[in-house]
Amino acid sequence: MCDDITKQTVNILTPVMNKNDRFAASNRELLNGKIIYTLNLISSPGAGKTTLLESMARFFGSKMAVIEGDVQTDRDAERIRKAGCQAWQIETGGSCHLDAEAVNHALGHMDLESDELALLCIENVGNLICPSSYDLGENLKVGLLSLPEGDDKILKYPSLFSRISVLVINKMDLLPHIDFDVNRVIDECRSLNPEVLVFTVSAKTGEGMEEFCDFLENQFSD
Amino acid sequence: MHELSLAKDMTRIIGKVLGGCKPLDTVNITIGPLSGISPESLRFCFTEVAKMEGFGEPRLVITETEAKLICLDCDAEYQAKEFYQGCPLCGSFNRRILSGREFTVDSVEIMEGTD
Ligand SMILES: Nc1nc2c(ncn2[C@@H]2O[C@H](COP(=O)(O)OP(=O)(O)O)[C@@H](O)[C@H]2O)c(=O)[nH]1
Ligand SMILES: [Mg+2]
Ligand SMILES: [Zn+2]
Repeated sequence: MCDDITKQTVNILTPVMNKNDRFAASNRELLNGKIIYTLNLISSPGAGKTTLLESMARFFGSKMAVIEGDVQTDRDAERIRKAGCQAWQIETGGSCHLDAEAVNHALGHMDLESDELALLCIENVGNLICPSSYDLGENLKVGLLSLPEGDDKILKYPSLFSRISVLVINKMDLLPHIDFDVNRVIDECRSLNPEVLVFTVSAKTGEGMEEFCDFLENQFSD
Repeated sequence: MHELSLAKDMTRIIGKVLGGCKPLDTVNITIGPLSGISPESLRFCFTEVAKMEGFGEPRLVITETEAKLICLDCDAEYQAKEFYQGCPLCGSFNRRILSGREFTVDSVEIMEGTD
């Protein structure tokens, strides 16, 4: 009888990211409604996401708020608060990425009512692969790559670098000490994503930060 | 390994349509080559998750689609199996992605009389 067992087929026809995308849409609606421009910052661990955000916090002050998803300790959020803006730490429970539901939950804990608040930055979990598939409801996906990681990373992580709108190359202060071809990185990133905008900065020394922050300010004052 | 959470999303979606968990014979899914999902690690994770959550040990049948791209230099529309394939006519990588990021659970097959 084995060959003859009838199988019943049940259609599912459901995109797996459906639930995430519903939360992302609801985050986007909430944030756009409050006229808050939102940025999803993705990089490998140690590329300088928190340092970049500290530097931005000094520039934007109370115009900016941060959702910190990077590590489970409260340390990164504390660094941001010290630099002068509101920060909420997501407990990721060891997950390799943030999803839109976690961000939705975080938004419920934050004070989004201030008229001054115009920019929300989400520091994703340090990982170049997993966060790339999850829309969080952001307006801008930003990839951060730092010089010590090497200039061959773009084509190794095409899923991320094809989806970002802005590439920030960080730790430019190390350029004299590291063999890193900035143009190669830019060319390879454009080959995945012709419209990507590139900023070269040092979050540590502040080099290039004004151009990057001016660009963001133009985005949210439009 | 976001494939682990994706595998859990898959069983959540299947369980919702079936109104609970039951042993499955086959699960048919579609993955686009630009989705950022590794079929091998998804298969590995799904096997574990399905067993753990009471869906048995179904065969996971993965349809891998081709991506559709449009060349921004010569306007050719072309298909690609991965990110590193440029325009077949002019070689350019200057292009827009039309599709290739899909990831869907298409259907499941259940043995009659096992519910
Ligand atoms: N030389 C240099 N070091 C930096 C720069 N930005 C960050 N760092 C250092 O890189 C390390 C990791 O930075 P962090 O911001 O915690 O990275 P995250 O894991 O991406 O959040 C710290 O030791 C920082 O001081 C930079 O522009 N130049
Ligand atoms: Mg950090
Ligand atoms: Zn072409």
